[in-house]
Amino acid sequence: MRALVIDDSRTMRRIIVGVLTALGFETVEAADGRQALDVLEQGIEVDLACIDWNMPVMNGLEFVVAVRERKDWRGVTLMMVTTESEHGQIVRALAAGAHEYMIKPFTPDAVKEKLQLLGLVEIEELV
Amino acid sequence: MSMQVDTTAFAGTDPVYVIAEEVFSSMIDGEPGFLRHWDGDPPPIVDAMHAWVDVHGATNGRVLLSTERSTADDLARALLQMGPTEPVSDEDFADALGEVANIVGGNVKALVPDPGVLTLPQVTHERPHTDPEALIYELPLDWRGSLVVIGLWRLL
Repeated sequence: MRALVIDDSRTMRRIIVGVLTALGFETVEAADGRQALDVLEQGIEVDLACIDWNMPVMNGLEFVVAVRERKDWRGVTLMMVTTESEHGQIVRALAAGAHEYMIKPFTPDAVKEKLQLLGLVEIEELV
Repeated sequence: MSMQVDTTAFAGTDPVYVIAEEVFSSMIDGEPGFLRHWDGDPPPIVDAMHAWVDVHGATNGRVLLSTERSTADDLARALLQMGPTEPVSDEDFADALGEVANIVGGNVKALVPDPGVLTLPQVTHERPHTDPEALIYELPLDWRGSLVVIGLWRLL
């Protein structure tokens, strides 16, 4: 599995990359939506994109819309990871095509649970 | 900024404190118990660093986080999971402190009726201009014995 981590904050990218790496993902980073589109246009295949909302150049919502306009990128699971926590913003992101929504702050376990719900991380069976 | 914070969702608990506690416990300390209300009058912050985000829209306001440089360094190290004496680059320092302000500010924005757009975070040594009469609320916090102040300001 490969994940594209899109956030203008180096700190947040580092945190998310750390969580995803521990869950077995390879990661690619982008500092805004435009850079992330460049990654996809280079043909780098990703299974998951973790997307901040507020970023310079191209924000996360614009990125989601751009990805959803391309048939060949339909296999990418889109998860917003953002401080935008109002109900209206969540609805906007999901309506635009995001699959899941995670509000900062988060814990590594919360990320894991979301990815399990999305079928990107196996659910451990209790022995 | 008409920043009437809805406290009902938090059963009467200070919602800004609840947000700060969640940010620190989940992303900085990895566990609760290291952040509490400052006991007594907070001292002036020496060698201060300030990080803030603004909300622009039907309401205009600023969420400002202030602390001593050494505490800000510790915050950055904790957030970046670095060692206690590991040097923090200026770029990592500004980015980490700005992200703390961004997360706190974004969650405070959600408490405000009809919120607007959140700006990108800024970090400076000099305190940003705020009209003293525009202070809505100030929360002095004790993080591992060091003072961290979160202020909500009306932008005039």
